[in-house]
Amino acid sequence: MSEDVSCRAIEPELATVAAGEGRAGAAERVERHVARCAPCRDELERYRAVEGMLGSLRRAPLADDDATLSRAQLASRLADLRSRILGFAVFPSPLGRVLIGRSEQGVAVVQYVPEGGALPAHVRRLLGDDAVEDRAATEDLWAELLEYLRGDRARLEWPLDLRRMRSDFQRRVLEATAALPYGAVTSYAGIAMRIGVPAAARPVAQALRWNPLPIIIPCHRVIGSAGTLTGYAGHRVDLKQRLLAVEGVKTVAAGGALRIRREAMYCLVNGEREYCLPSCGSALTDSLAGLTLFGTRAGAEAAGLQPCGSCRPDLHPLAA
Amino acid sequence: MADDAFEAVVGSHHAEIRRYLLRVTARASDADDLSQETFLRAFRAFRGLPPGANVRAWLFAIATNLGRNHFRALARRRRAYAVAARDASPAAAAGADGRAMADEAQTRIAEVIAGLPEKQRLAFVMRKMHELDYADIGASLQCSEDSARAHVFQALRKVRRGLDGHLSLAMESRT
Repeated sequence: MSEDVSCRAIEPELATVAAGEGRAGAAERVERHVARCAPCRDELERYRAVEGMLGSLRRAPLADDDATLSRAQLASRLADLRSRILGFAVFPSPLGRVLIGRSEQGVAVVQYVPEGGALPAHVRRLLGDDAVEDRAATEDLWAELLEYLRGDRARLEWPLDLRRMRSDFQRRVLEATAALPYGAVTSYAGIAMRIGVPAAARPVAQALRWNPLPIIIPCHRVIGSAGTLTGYAGHRVDLKQRLLAVEGVKTVAAGGALRIRREAMYCLVNGEREYCLPSCGSALTDSLAGLTLFGTRAGAEAAGLQPCGSCRPDLHPLAA
Repeated sequence: MADDAFEAVVGSHHAEIRRYLLRVTARASDADDLSQETFLRAFRAFRGLPPGANVRAWLFAIATNLGRNHFRALARRRRAYAVAARDASPAAAAGADGRAMADEAQTRIAEVIAGLPEKQRLAFVMRKMHELDYADIGASLQCSEDSARAHVFQALRKVRRGLDGHLSLAMESRT
């Protein structure tokens, strides 16, 4: 009697022994108890009967157990998720930490992110709910971006996913910006002219401020109409200067701001196919909006332009 | 690559996860939605899953987590379903003579299960209908393995009590 356990305490073991899952010694304890205790013997049998019923229930067909339609819906929702989902990772670069995110369609997000800590709210918004960290998916892009930032590569020919545009206006602004050649600059008003809304210089600046793909869509090539490097990645005009320097566009500090040296750049009057010296004809007087300026002849010629037949920049190149 | 591996996961487990959700939500439309949501979540996290992980137990954990908020709002519906299930009771595996009895007992089991507290119900269905390990049930319910055992036992005891009057017949038919 001394090692016997009460009926209440044995019940959990009756149940587990009935289910065939009793732990060490349980079967023996139960056996000893029910040998003396008729009510618990019955109880053990009842638990065995319950297990038998549960086994039947487990094997019995279930009403509404046809997963075919649900599976088909899942396939379509997964396909949709796959096309939306972003794989992203944060990489070091000469310009600081850069986040690169790509979807099945193409590169969707490139953002500067501060050292350490969580991602800023605007970056998380751009990533959306369907972003997963995926270094393997973005590492090749990072390698090409580094080549670009070293000046070893003039183009990043990445398929782009432009579904994160805020508006059709922003899309037009960014498309016009993407068309600016390597090594060239124009003004916000210049982009506004190109998209047929010449008065919209400020909205253009706003649209570029929320560029989801800086560097790739080269908003650093768009500057103030006075030639100053204004707003970039918050207050990181220094990054804008470095990106332009990689492309051969020199800047100088003047009056507390950085500006291009228009007098030291080759000019393209919009709509022309020839580039000029800054002293040539209308290039001299036109506002920056009507021009595209190149830091080097090589840049202008890489953009498919010919030297002007009058001012002959090929014979009288600007001092380097 | 990873996408094909995930297709295989869907192929192997979607039907069972849906069945689990059907058992615990008692509504085909909820089982459809929640099973799909389970796999959409799983897809997002799949790359981060360590190699050799128990994918099935992991999916049960996602399904359980997803369902728990949902279940709370459904307490009343579940009871209504248990009554409806009386009319659409599944065919039992018992012999012809015992059939009506078995159907009735199984309907009674479904009613008792439907009335269980949430954790007991989930633990019970995972253990008794899907035969998951207690450790995996604990992981799904964010409790210890011993707590998972306790939930299953409490549920089982209620099922057993709920079957008073059905069991003497069942015991006779066993002999």
